[in-house]
Amino acid sequence: MERLNFRILTISVAFLFTFFLFATIATLFFLQKPNEIIKALKSDEMIFSLKLSLLTAFLSTILVILTGILIGYALSRFDFPGKSIVKSILDLPMAFPELVLGLALLLLFGSTPIGNALSNLGIRIVFTKLGIVVAQFFTALPYAVREIYAAFEEINPRYELVARSLGYTEFETFRKVTLPMAKNGLLASTVISFARSIGAFGAVLILAGGNYMNTEVLPITLYLNISYGNVGMAITSGIVLVVISFAAILSLEKLGERNGPVRS
Amino acid sequence: MALLEVKNLSIDLGEFHLRNISLTVEKKDYLAVIGPTGSGKSVLLEAIAGFYPTKAGRIILDGRDITTLPPEKRGISIVYQDFMLFPHLNVFDNIAFGLRKITSSKVEIEREVKTIAEKLHIDHIFHRKVSTLSGGEKQRVAIARALVVRPRILLMDEPFSALDEKTRENLRAIVKKAVREYDTIHDTAVVHVTHDFEDVFALANKVVVMNAGKVVQIGTVEDIFCKPTSDFVADFVGTNFVRGKVLESSDITAVRVGNVVIYTTDVAKPGIEVTLSIRPEAIILARELGESSAQNILPARVMKIRKRGHLLWLILDVDGLMLRAVITPNAAELLGIKEGVKLYTMFKASNVRVVG
Ligand SMILES: Nc1ncnc2c1ncn2[C@@H]1O[C@H](COP(=O)(O)OP(=O)(O)OP(=O)(O)O)[C@@H](O)[C@H]1O
Ligand SMILES: [Mg+2]
Repeated sequence: MERLNFRILTISVAFLFTFFLFATIATLFFLQKPNEIIKALKSDEMIFSLKLSLLTAFLSTILVILTGILIGYALSRFDFPGKSIVKSILDLPMAFPELVLGLALLLLFGSTPIGNALSNLGIRIVFTKLGIVVAQFFTALPYAVREIYAAFEEINPRYELVARSLGYTEFETFRKVTLPMAKNGLLASTVISFARSIGAFGAVLILAGGNYMNTEVLPITLYLNISYGNVGMAITSGIVLVVISFAAILSLEKLGERNGPVRS
Repeated sequence: MALLEVKNLSIDLGEFHLRNISLTVEKKDYLAVIGPTGSGKSVLLEAIAGFYPTKAGRIILDGRDITTLPPEKRGISIVYQDFMLFPHLNVFDNIAFGLRKITSSKVEIEREVKTIAEKLHIDHIFHRKVSTLSGGEKQRVAIARALVVRPRILLMDEPFSALDEKTRENLRAIVKKAVREYDTIHDTAVVHVTHDFEDVFALANKVVVMNAGKVVQIGTVEDIFCKPTSDFVADFVGTNFVRGKVLESSDITAVRVGNVVIYTTDVAKPGIEVTLSIRPEAIILARELGESSAQNILPARVMKIRKRGHLLWLILDVDGLMLRAVITPNAAELLGIKEGVKLYTMFKASNVRVVG
């Protein structure tokens, strides 16, 4: 009897939570009249924000994946002094409030020697569009590294040894064996990175400033319009964010399906 | 000149060390590596392939010092127990994988892949995904992939362990033939790690026994199985192996081994040399001769008694032939067995196997 009650409790909570999640998303989509959503979509601000979001998230995803592949491979395949320190520092941003991350980046790229050196080279990060990419990059990277590291860990190094014995150098082996075999993990981490990047808010706001029609990406649009009481615009940017994230997940899932699962 | 010389090789893997390994492999040798689990057989194989940095010692291949050469420059192929076929490539591309580094000629690649695939009977499955193959097929693809680049040395780490007995037997024959027929360029030698003595008898001409990171004995198959130089090797080999000449073979086969004649129910051609195996627990001991169904009744002397677990192992001198028998302490007491005691050994002809 007691067991049955417990079972009912757990299942009810699961359903309740799913219901609320569904209700939340539904509210987002149905509270606003369609013609108002379309109007908001057509506004200059929304078009600017959407374009900038796609562009920055696209760039930072590429950078995150490239960096993540290198770091993930190093962590998974090589032993080097300080490896465990590198590992825990990489995990740090995940436990770090995004706002604090943004603040730390703001300070770092401000008037420290690093910031000065970069601005001497003409690279300005603070309160610029480049800052958006940097903030997104740091927000998404730890998640990508985790995922990619796990994908590499799953590959028995003996596959690589076989390739080496058949005449392939370390780098050729990486390209012809390790990367293709890690494909599913790489696709997954691409989705995660893109979703993280396009949804990044705290760090972006602090480092890039959230300037109207300048460093304004979708989460910033949502935030700015809510603060002005402009609910229609805020909801619309929310909808756009959700749709883009879903689309990214669906398209990559389709891509993964077509290529088939990688397994021996 | 020897094809491969490993000289005083030491490898340090933290908790495990390969210590002072020396061995020689000649062209066309088929070297079996045996030893208990964790003794370093796989590490030795992978060290020869160049996957571990060496702490001391040298590896010489064809007169060239390859100790510090990376694996891709050695011309040594490796085959693993669990196949390690690339899941993102089909059968053909798996086999052609190494060839593509040697030649870019499509015609040549196709011809080479076909040739080796025919020898291994896998030329009908080129376009299959490797995940759809049976274990035996997978291992044949892996062996084809390793052989098609015509390696100086083919390393195999328990290649048949994941397969059932019938497939194993079938594969032994195919592999033996393929290696011999395909190696005309380099006189490929094989180093084959195995737990299955059948592999040794069917394939090898030389054997290395390893224990705790060291080579404890190296020699011909006969040396290892008939003349173990240490208790460890004798224990590891377990069964008594003796070698002799077949005298006659009618209802029963008589084999002359040193000064004694041993009968077996297995058949063998008169005149040839064979190896016989007699399990230690099949040997019965008696103080006096009585009626018995045993065809083999031989006088013996107890040389040594050793306690292993609950049982006693006896080393018997049977007119110059050393045999090992196992008995319970109770039986030993009943028979008054002590070192130096004389008694009779009996074993049935059907308990004597011709193994090679
Ligand atoms: N890369 C490595 N780093 C550290 N230790 C290792 C490494 N590879 C193997 N070892 C250790 O070396 C020892 C010998 O391993 P090895 O795989 O060579 O044994 P083996 O004789 O092949 O055993 P089995 O018959 O079970 O395959 C083991 O204790 C193993 O844990
Ligand atoms: Mg092993």
